[in-house]
Amino acid sequence: MTDDTAVEIEYDHEIEGWADTRKKIRQSKMVVAGVAILGVFAVLTFIHPVLQATIWSSKPGVYRPETGHDPAISHPSGPTLDHLLGTDSLGRDVLSLMTYGLRPTFLVAVATAVSAGVIGLLVGTTSAYFRGKYDRVMTQVADAFVLLPPPLIFLIASKRGLLGPFALGLLYGLFFGFGPAAIVVRSRALSVMEKPFIDAARSVGGRPSWIITHHVVPHVIPHVAVVVLAGVVGALVTQGFVEFLGIAEYRYGLGNLVYNALTYRTALGTSVPWSALMAGALSISLLASSFYMISSGLREVTDPRRGSRRI
Amino acid sequence: MTRFVLRRVLWALVTLVLLASIAFFAVNLLLPFDFAVGVGQRPRAVEAIREQLGTDRPLVVQWLVYMANFVRADLGESYDGERVSTLVASVLPTTVAIFAVGGMVAYLLGEWIGRVVAWSRNRFFSGASSAGSVLLFTAFPPWLVFLLIYFGQDRLFQVRSWFGLDPKPFGPVPEGPLLNVLAVGLVAAFVGGILLRGWAWRNDRRVLGMLAIPIGLAAFVASLLSLGVWAAAIDRLLWPSAVVATIAIVLIAFGESMLVMRAGVSAEMTEDYVFTARAKALPERSIRDRHVAPNAVLPAISRLITSVPYLITGLIIIERELHLNGVASLFFQAIESGNTPIIIGILTIVGLLGLVLRIVLDAIQATIDPRIRIEGEAV
Repeated sequence: MTDDTAVEIEYDHEIEGWADTRKKIRQSKMVVAGVAILGVFAVLTFIHPVLQATIWSSKPGVYRPETGHDPAISHPSGPTLDHLLGTDSLGRDVLSLMTYGLRPTFLVAVATAVSAGVIGLLVGTTSAYFRGKYDRVMTQVADAFVLLPPPLIFLIASKRGLLGPFALGLLYGLFFGFGPAAIVVRSRALSVMEKPFIDAARSVGGRPSWIITHHVVPHVIPHVAVVVLAGVVGALVTQGFVEFLGIAEYRYGLGNLVYNALTYRTALGTSVPWSALMAGALSISLLASSFYMISSGLREVTDPRRGSRRI
Repeated sequence: MTRFVLRRVLWALVTLVLLASIAFFAVNLLLPFDFAVGVGQRPRAVEAIREQLGTDRPLVVQWLVYMANFVRADLGESYDGERVSTLVASVLPTTVAIFAVGGMVAYLLGEWIGRVVAWSRNRFFSGASSAGSVLLFTAFPPWLVFLLIYFGQDRLFQVRSWFGLDPKPFGPVPEGPLLNVLAVGLVAAFVGGILLRGWAWRNDRRVLGMLAIPIGLAAFVASLLSLGVWAAAIDRLLWPSAVVATIAIVLIAFGESMLVMRAGVSAEMTEDYVFTARAKALPERSIRDRHVAPNAVLPAISRLITSVPYLITGLIIIERELHLNGVASLFFQAIESGNTPIIIGILTIVGLLGLVLRIVLDAIQATIDPRIRIEGEAV
């Protein structure tokens, strides 16, 4: 009987903690705005096949993302009802290109977030737990990785073969995971290691792997989310650059969209409408800013110094 | 304080050696083609070139040779027989000047606007400035450069014509000793101005504090005039691609420092000491600038440290877009020809710059906040 109540109380407490955090997150304007923008882009990504199957299905040749062409009007054209974002110099529908180009972008975002998160957690928590020489070495490695700019590494790697979205995301995640993510996780994990429950877990004979996964990781997860989402911002901009330079495996990324629009404008002197010029660049920047806003909103929620100290 | 900085420098040297090793192996293992194969036609010629360059030896031996030179501050020779350090030094002034000046201007602007916006408690300004600065921070650099050229080109040429300069096409800034002098002088003028501003603030000389940066720039202009290189100097200072690159860096870097400064000030605004200062009837500006701002500056600086790699990424993209003769252009050339020593050299130098910057920022933090100093010594 008594056991049951104890469990009940613990359960209640946990729910309350999460409810409190959820409330704080919902109150943070940055997070809400970021999630809203991210949601719009997620819908846009999934809407492409739907549109192709429904509205665009009568004229598939016109709306095909890479090779489509509308013979009925002259190109490039501004926004019309048939082409909501207009068409580019080759007569392709910009809305179709943009929604199609969001796919590799989301792949890169997910690949970066997962790989950076896993590596950062692994390196950060173990070096905070074991300390000593291993910690020293990993801190130095992290410091070195922070100083290597990923675009330069991507340029080198692209000589070996063009980069697909997964390769891009994993490579960026590798650099970000060993660098900034590991540094942040380590410093947070160090403060967790000072807590009495770690000593308690040790004194009852908990194995390091158990203590790390069950006591350290749950406490640093919010901070991992903050730093990893900030990493995705850099990954998206770098991906745009890689696509812009044409060293990506695919030719339909948002960066390609920017490149095409800018080149047609400067090289051919045609007046590309603003809808075509803006679609790619604004998508990259809005998507990156949604991750940035979620990250910095969460940072304010998770940062203990920004508590509700108010007169 | 000296001990703190010394310790940081010592560890930075270790990091630098590690960084060079990582760069060495990454480049040698990742870069697929062989310089010798590209130059030599016949197999025997290829063998001879490999032997001459030393690339026929095992990678570990090559690494040991490279590191032996590296610890003597020698980046070795490129495969074309030029000193890597000379090559890098020829492209460094443009990059460093643009990055340093852009970064400092962005920080000063961000700090000032963040402070004012947070203090005004105006919800409209606050929302607009958040949206604007987040969008600027995440702006796609080639696009930003395009917009700047599209809207600013005519105005820039107009400014050039005031000084009797012809509108120049965009492109690399003419190299030469003058460029090095200008880069060092401009950075020194800004650093001097910021130091003077800090000193003036601490000693409550408000007017001097506001005029500090203009004084630094005026000294810079005066020294150019006295050296008699004014005409050539203003041409390079107003070089279209350099100006556009600097403005782009300012716009990208400004957003984040503003956001962090604003968040810091609004968190500090409700502290007890602000209440006390108001009770003593101190002027609002004095409370804001002398009591609240110093406490809010620290997180802004530490965020600056963490976003340096992101900003360097942006700078590389911008340089590439504007065909500036900076680090990026040399890097692209070296990659095209498979000139490994230059690539490693550039990665190391970029890392070294980042390290120097971090030590400087760490030292600033340690001077402002004694806790960091003590923690640093305890480790």
